[in-house]
Amino acid sequence: MGLSARARYSRGQFAGQALVLPAVLLVLVGLVLPVGATLSATFGAPGGPLSAYDAFFASGFRRTVLLRTVSVALTVTTIAVVLGFCTAYVVSRAPGWLKSILIIAAVFPLLTGVVVRSFAWLVILGKNGILNDALMGLGLIEQPLSLLYTPGAVVVAMVYLFVPLMILTLVGVLDAIPDELIQASASLGASPMATFTQVILPLAVPGLIVGAVLVFTGSFTAYATPQLLGGEQVMMMGTLMYQQAMVTFDWVSASTIAAIMMVVTLGIVAVMNSAARRLNPMAS
Amino acid sequence: MPTRLHPALIGVAGLVFVFFVGPLVIVLGAALSDTTYLTFPPQGLSLRWFENIFAIDAFRRTMLTSLQVAFLSTFLALMIGIPAAYAMSRHRVHLPGCLSTLFVLPVLVPELVVGFSLLKNVAFQLHAPIFLSLVIGHTILILPYAIRVVSASLAQFDFSIEEAAISLGSPRLKTFFTVLLPNIRSGIIAAFILAFITSINDVSISIFLTGPGLSTLPIQLLAHMEQFFDPTVASVSVLLMGLTVVVMAVVERTLGLTFLAK
Amino acid sequence: MTKALSLHNITAHYGQTKVLDDLSLEVAEGELVSLLGASGCGKTTTLRLVAGFLKATAGTIRLGDEDLARLPAHKRNIGLVFQNYALFPHLSVADNVGFGLKQRGVSGQERAARVGAMLERVGLSALAHRLPNALSGGQKQRVALARALVIEPPLLMFDEPLSNLDAKLRVEMRLEIRRLQQANGTTSVYVTHDQEEAFSISDRVAIMHQGRIMQFDTPENLYRRPANAFVARFVGFETLLPMVVSARHGALVEARAAGGVKLSLDEAGLGSIPDHFVLACRAEGLGVTAGATGIPAVLGLRTYLGRAYQYQCETPAGALVANGPLNQPLELGAKVQLELVPEQCAILRRE
Repeated sequence: MGLSARARYSRGQFAGQALVLPAVLLVLVGLVLPVGATLSATFGAPGGPLSAYDAFFASGFRRTVLLRTVSVALTVTTIAVVLGFCTAYVVSRAPGWLKSILIIAAVFPLLTGVVVRSFAWLVILGKNGILNDALMGLGLIEQPLSLLYTPGAVVVAMVYLFVPLMILTLVGVLDAIPDELIQASASLGASPMATFTQVILPLAVPGLIVGAVLVFTGSFTAYATPQLLGGEQVMMMGTLMYQQAMVTFDWVSASTIAAIMMVVTLGIVAVMNSAARRLNPMAS
Repeated sequence: MPTRLHPALIGVAGLVFVFFVGPLVIVLGAALSDTTYLTFPPQGLSLRWFENIFAIDAFRRTMLTSLQVAFLSTFLALMIGIPAAYAMSRHRVHLPGCLSTLFVLPVLVPELVVGFSLLKNVAFQLHAPIFLSLVIGHTILILPYAIRVVSASLAQFDFSIEEAAISLGSPRLKTFFTVLLPNIRSGIIAAFILAFITSINDVSISIFLTGPGLSTLPIQLLAHMEQFFDPTVASVSVLLMGLTVVVMAVVERTLGLTFLAK
Repeated sequence: MTKALSLHNITAHYGQTKVLDDLSLEVAEGELVSLLGASGCGKTTTLRLVAGFLKATAGTIRLGDEDLARLPAHKRNIGLVFQNYALFPHLSVADNVGFGLKQRGVSGQERAARVGAMLERVGLSALAHRLPNALSGGQKQRVALARALVIEPPLLMFDEPLSNLDAKLRVEMRLEIRRLQQANGTTSVYVTHDQEEAFSISDRVAIMHQGRIMQFDTPENLYRRPANAFVARFVGFETLLPMVVSARHGALVEARAAGGVKLSLDEAGLGSIPDHFVLACRAEGLGVTAGATGIPAVLGLRTYLGRAYQYQCETPAGALVANGPLNQPLELGAKVQLELVPEQCAILRRE
């Protein structure tokens, strides 16, 4: 348009970089640098570069917290995958009008925020909560059960938190499978069950893995839900980190926990990325 | 579809949806209860716990703070994110490939870690005002959403209308505002709504960047819960749910709800 | 092994809309029949009905002796070739081709042998272990073909299999499909909107419009002797002139059209002519001459077709299209006579 090709190219280059600069700066200054500083602080403890980590793993209590967090996250992920997949399958096959309603029903909890959703379980599982009332009303128990501040309560509340996310991810994945493939499979003699196991499931697996990783890392790094429903009896990495930072003011310890959280999270995501790329047959 | 679904599967799905809705209904019921403790089903119906919200100074203040932070950070995220999304769409060749990874970092790095790092290294080390740190934290949190949603809108945008406008004499910058932005309006609105809600509801970043004197609504709610286990918490929750309903209604009006199946 | 397909009085609906209207069709054993028409005419609907993805609201479908309506889609044993190939992206070429055999419980060894032989026939043995996303369009189509053929079905159905390929490949592939079909002798139904494709490979063609079959005949008959105005237009008769017989002298017939236009027609060449009829002419059926007999015309827009000039003409009977020789390009406004070329014309009943 009046400029030589090279002039246009370098103007494009300048424009591109200028437009992106504020975002890059924000992420660098607001995230990369501070987090980097936190990480490097863990290596600066008196006693040597790895002493902070030694101290962490030497503590029986802290090891328990780590293991507990991993096991809770795994449990939540497994339940969310199973429930989410079954429900997503039904939703993706539902007729148009019903499907819209179901998707809205799944999105609504996601938008209400973590505090409201965790609080709901406080009401349900409390000593005066409806679960206890129902069980006593049915004559199954005489004294109200102490359901709160147990790993089970945390698991239930986090499943409640993450299943909608799983469902939405999986509905997207299942919808992406073209109808023609299902028809081709049927025309070649596969019963609906055979079509499910040999065509739909394998094609849904990469999306399933993505969803599972999201749920696992979300559970692993959660704060509000373990705080409300687990309290100090069921301490998890998130609540431990808060306690170390804001109650005990042991910032090196808090930084160490932060570092471990990051390693676990980023490590799993990295593994998933390479696995998903290799497994995903629909990418062309 | 010719194949029918196994009834057991439909049963499971039905139960899951009841599972979704049930607890929220319970919260609603508890908020209406005329008792000083949380109970469901409600005993007696009363709106006094809703009135109580506005009576409590802490809730009024933190609601205001939450709104301020949400508006500021959403505005910032869009101001920064829209040009970035545009650049990555239009000038992809000139930019390093790792850029999209950089912009997805806020999603990958745990929020607690980000919040804590900002507290330690920005608020504490650099003596930055805590409100500023909070806004920075929220902006970082929602930037990836802004970029991703706007990018999706741009992917469907036909850039040749931009070129047509320029060939007809409209200068580049003007074209950006008068031709491009109106055509990705729905993406921007969606990004705004998503970002705003995420900021309002956030706990994990805010938890480190708040304290006496500055707090957001969800954090205040958590604190209140630990001290007073009364239906006020339920009614605030209902208010937040009401906000969500309003938001979804707005989305339905402007975009149609199929947009949510992103 | 192959069977005949017959559809009787099939009616089908999508919701409230009727998409197939009392449709009947008989495809003989070993025959390749095309369903030809524009989008929305019902050809794909018919195919999906026979395959079992759609239920008819009335009518019967029989394959050989069997009533197909009782069978669910996966028990109908019909080989399908889809427009977008529908290859399983997570399975290799060999596994795709072997999928149908696997469902039928064919043992691994036998499966490998039959798949190998089929890949040999379609020329894809070297690509047996590739994934579909590494194949070109033509290769994908051949895998789709192999997958449908290897199960040795009594009926094959093709849903616009070539429309996603480029023109040259389309011609090659349609010959390939015809060759394979004839070698196997499998009854086949072929859905397409491409007239040349249908006419070049089919034993018979059903031209469809709005859920009905307008004419079901050999390509030659459709081309020369269209049964009605729709088919006539479809196969290229541009001019449709309603006429009335004014006098008969044995096989010679004099007929009149609008505007006082008179023509002499020979029943020997055109077939029997009823008193009220429509004369259908291709552009080549009306020749531009300087002579004195024929239809008087004033020439309008001239276009160059490579093999002739084509003229839009104004005549007392209305606007007509005629061809003229290449050595004599004529100008706008020239006054000429249009002479009939009977081999390029046909007689239709008035409707």
